[in-house]
Amino acid sequence: MHIALVMFLAVAEETAKAGKSIGLGVGGGLGAVGAGVGIGIIFGKAIEAITRQPEMRDEITQLQWLGFALTEACFFYGLVAGLLAAFIV
Amino acid sequence: MSATAEAPKQRSHKRALLIFGGVWLGGIVALYLIFGSGGRNNAYQPQNEFKLDNWVHLGVFSINKAVLYLFLAATATCVTMIYVANRMQARPNKVQTAVEALYQLMRDNITGGNLDEKMAKRWFPFIGTLFLFIMFSNLVGYIPLPTNTEHEITVFGLQIPSFSLYAATANLSIPLVLALVVFISYTFEGVRAKGPIGYLKGLVPGGVTGGMAVFIFFLEVLSNGMRLMSLSIRLFANILAGHLIILFMAGALAVILGVSALAWFTIPFGILLFAFEVGLVAALQAFIFATLTAIYLGGAVAEDH
Repeated sequence: MHIALVMFLAVAEETAKAGKSIGLGVGGGLGAVGAGVGIGIIFGKAIEAITRQPEMRDEITQLQWLGFALTEACFFYGLVAGLLAAFIV
Repeated sequence: MSATAEAPKQRSHKRALLIFGGVWLGGIVALYLIFGSGGRNNAYQPQNEFKLDNWVHLGVFSINKAVLYLFLAATATCVTMIYVANRMQARPNKVQTAVEALYQLMRDNITGGNLDEKMAKRWFPFIGTLFLFIMFSNLVGYIPLPTNTEHEITVFGLQIPSFSLYAATANLSIPLVLALVVFISYTFEGVRAKGPIGYLKGLVPGGVTGGMAVFIFFLEVLSNGMRLMSLSIRLFANILAGHLIILFMAGALAVILGVSALAWFTIPFGILLFAFEVGLVAALQAFIFATLTAIYLGGAVAEDH
């Protein structure tokens, strides 16, 4: 009975550890996937727009960096959530 | 003619690259064979690099690493700008050219592009200061300074300062305070332009009535709160993640896993990421913060949104 309880507690601890690792992996990994797709779309569209209208280059570049930073931030939201799950919760 | 001149140059580039790659790969193999794996190191906690120890105890106003970096950034901003402003020349040197380019960016793109003329004139000092302060604060963070009190290094009984990278903006509190200042100023500006009731009414787009208007009103209030979070977390997480990844690439990964060859393997990536963070992210995050501030200020006074 006693040994069973100890084993159960050990398994529970390992499971909690695994859950934390999964949280970090999902937060960082899936966040990177989404942000990667988004950043690719932004730069692709910016190149498209600049080749169509080279005279608008400066304005497009400014908007492109704005979009890049906003998208990149979404990756960091995921990463922060993952780090919270892994180290603090 | 040019093709023959080009060819030896290209060949020497190729050779340098091959030598670099060879030394790098050979170093990994050699280091692994010599030192092998020392097993996992559980004593080293990378999150302690970001822990704040109080150096001078003054209650709430205690001075720690983040406060030092704030002072450094503020001093750097003031000194550079006042120095350049006092020594304006018709034929600018390099520093003046750089500052003039920054000024033009702030005036024409950040404030001029997002605010009308009157608002731009009124809020240019605020937005410009935010931009410069955040940029200097980020950049100061990438200079290794002897601020590491966590790990002390002693050589022959003599303590030498251990350098560390830290940025004030890598701590959530400081971006949050900046975001709060922005939040208060655009709310204040909106209330001044339209009156308290007009401002609250202005949150709902024109043409929406009845139950839908109530719903959208709460949605807009919520999104105003979310702005506070997104502004601060964007800056904080970018800088923190940049510092963490430089830390890991520059050796923390090797220390934790106990494989010295790994440090040799990751160092080139660390240098590349450092250049990326210094060259792009530091200025870009300041630019984003200032641009969003200008957009929010413009949105708060706009007649219809």
